[in-house]
Amino acid sequence: MAPHDLRRPFKRPLISDQEKRRQQSLLRQAQNRRDAQNHARFLASTALSLEQPHELEPE
Amino acid sequence: VAGIELPHKQWPELIGSLLSNVHQLPAPTRQATLETLGYICEEVSPDVVDQDHVNKILTAVVQGMNSTEENNDVRLAAVRALYNALGFAQANFSNDMERDYIMRIVCETTLSPDVKIRRAAFECLVAISSTYYEKLAPYIQDIFNITAKAVKEDEEQVALQAIEFWSSICDEEIDILEEYGGDFSADSDIPCFYFIKQALSFLVPMLLETLLKQDEDQDQDEGAWNIAMAGGTCLGLVARTVGDDIVPLVMPFIQENISKPDWRQREAATYAFGSILEGPSPEKLEPLVTMALNFMLTALMKDPSNHVKDTTAWTLGRMFEFLHGTALDTPIITPANCQQIVTVLIQSMKDVPNVAEKACGALYFLAQGYEDAGAASSPLTPYFQDIVQALLTVTHREDAVESRLRTAAYEALNEVVRCSNDETAPMVVQLAPLIMLELHNTLENQKVSSDERQNELQGLLCGCLQVIIQKLGSSEPTKYHFMQYADQIMALFLRVFASRSATAHEEAMLAIGALAYATGPDFAKYMTEFYKYLEMGLQNFEDYQVCAITVGVVGDVCRALEEKILPYCDGIMTQLLKDLSSNQLHRSVKPPIFSCFGDIALAIGENFEKYLLYAMPMLQSAAELSAHTSGADDDMTEYTNSLRNGILEAYSGIFQGFKGSPKTQLLMPYAPHVLQFLDSLYMEKDMDDVVTKTAIGVLGDLADTLGSSAGPLIQQSVSSKDFLKECLSSDDHLIKESAEWAKLAISRAISF
Repeated sequence: MAPHDLRRPFKRPLISDQEKRRQQSLLRQAQNRRDAQNHARFLASTALSLEQPHELEPE
Repeated sequence: VAGIELPHKQWPELIGSLLSNVHQLPAPTRQATLETLGYICEEVSPDVVDQDHVNKILTAVVQGMNSTEENNDVRLAAVRALYNALGFAQANFSNDMERDYIMRIVCETTLSPDVKIRRAAFECLVAISSTYYEKLAPYIQDIFNITAKAVKEDEEQVALQAIEFWSSICDEEIDILEEYGGDFSADSDIPCFYFIKQALSFLVPMLLETLLKQDEDQDQDEGAWNIAMAGGTCLGLVARTVGDDIVPLVMPFIQENISKPDWRQREAATYAFGSILEGPSPEKLEPLVTMALNFMLTALMKDPSNHVKDTTAWTLGRMFEFLHGTALDTPIITPANCQQIVTVLIQSMKDVPNVAEKACGALYFLAQGYEDAGAASSPLTPYFQDIVQALLTVTHREDAVESRLRTAAYEALNEVVRCSNDETAPMVVQLAPLIMLELHNTLENQKVSSDERQNELQGLLCGCLQVIIQKLGSSEPTKYHFMQYADQIMALFLRVFASRSATAHEEAMLAIGALAYATGPDFAKYMTEFYKYLEMGLQNFEDYQVCAITVGVVGDVCRALEEKILPYCDGIMTQLLKDLSSNQLHRSVKPPIFSCFGDIALAIGENFEKYLLYAMPMLQSAAELSAHTSGADDDMTEYTNSLRNGILEAYSGIFQGFKGSPKTQLLMPYAPHVLQFLDSLYMEKDMDDVVTKTAIGVLGDLADTLGSSAGPLIQQSVSSKDFLKECLSSDDHLIKESAEWAKLAISRAISF
């Protein structure tokens, strides 16, 4: 039951540059994963739409 | 022992037998009993103690606090026990009479003759302010009076808690107002009572008075925390809570004190100004900042007091952080004053370490303001070389380890690099070998692998190189120039792994991830040597941040190498599966590991076959666990959503990886479960937008890869109908895009 420390950040940024680098890396990785995924889907959907007009004509 | 037994409904007589002690005569018995009750409340969750026991504990504790208790040790134990028992008192705080009684006793206890008891009572008020904010209205006037008296007259340890009460109220109101999001008719779980706004005209003068009570050595002492620091911090929070209304209340204090002969008055005035720069509107602040800027620049150069210079440099940093940037209408920095600002900051970097550190911080925000300026010419371009040179000089100062100066200099350098443009890119290319040489020197001079300062420096240098790689790798011409250093830089990073510092490892790993992304398939040549460190990182359970970052870098390497990653996959997959099965590894690393399965599968395609038998059951059981969140708190719901996203990214990667392969049918047995998972997520109705987008994408990937053989299964799923329909009409364009993809893939799968 020790008294809790109430010291708050003083004249220092809340997020360190190290934390910023970490977050930016995560963002870059997430973006690259999305790009890779979208690329795979783009290739697939291009192939699909080339085939599809024949299938969907009755609609 | 109670912490273990009570959650299992064991030891039911414990609380009762403890409570029978509180009426016993020997004071040490009463004290020990109250301490034990306090420890139990600290240790066990409120839901394992029934309300009848809670009532009895609170009654015993509040009786122990009462002024009729003559023994101070017993009273102190009672106040501290109440602090821990507050989380148990939800029902009691909802009852007006019981709450009134508890609040009256707590307020009375703040007036105890014993300083420790007064401090503990204020600690209770601080805890009540965050736990029971919405119940405080009837007491706030009395609390203001007792905190004002404590701030003015009491010993510092008590006064600090009294200020903390108001900082904590600010935290609550900032959160509530953020939830309103500027729309005051919007609902929030807890209404804002605007306590700060109502107390403003009394609160602000009270806080301003504390600013004059600085300690002589507070800027040099890393552990310092005093009433002036707490008062200024609270003033900053008040400004964030009320915005413009604070300005007229603080300006007279600033004008009155800013030029006084006593450094304390000048410093307090400057600190007050710096503190209120976040919160009020730019329209309100811009004229004041424009007027003050020149005064501050002169003070930073000429004020005889280091305290004043420290706070002045910090205030300049705050001006640049909140009132400088391409998004603001009236720039406070113009071609006319830019040179003077840069000159003063560079000059100030030669000052004593604590002042120089703040000057580096100001430069960080000066550069940041031009981050969105694009490739166009930046007003900083003419000074770029001088700034970089000045920052490098700071890093070489013998006293750079004091006051976090060296770190601040590298952080500023990173921001200057991030904000460089086409004009200054050639200078960033030239900076790369300089930082590499620094890293080389620390590796050569290193006598022991655990020299803390050397390790810290290596971390900073790897961090700086990471920023440089990311910047130069982001455009083809600069990437081309940078690639001449790739072999050397990689060799240096690998040597950093010889140190025993988790931070240095983490920074080197992040930098290698950036290098893999910039290098592409050529990264394969580094793999033989790099692989053992990759495995080491994946095994680092203790420093889970290193493990998490290594998992991310595996993804980077997969995307860079594609099928060339194959020879390393047995080792990587073995380790990732071990990580997932471990109880030791921090749970936050598990969602990225699932995403990483997807990265590997997408890179190696049908070669993922041999891992299906191990990876799929893991995914399946995690999916079952994560499908339902009922009763979870916000943190748990957020974690569950990140877990779901990881699992879904794994499925996406696996399905897409197998696309077009003759082995596609190997995935067929897993399709019913995947669809079931999607259905249960849809039915649960608590997915966030990211999970929704990934989930509907998986539906498309499954349909695309399995085609007509999965057609009937897909048609039976709710996801392919209602969920898809909802996503197609979503306002979120990423969800809509994934849904369009799913629709296309499904229409093909079921048309055969």
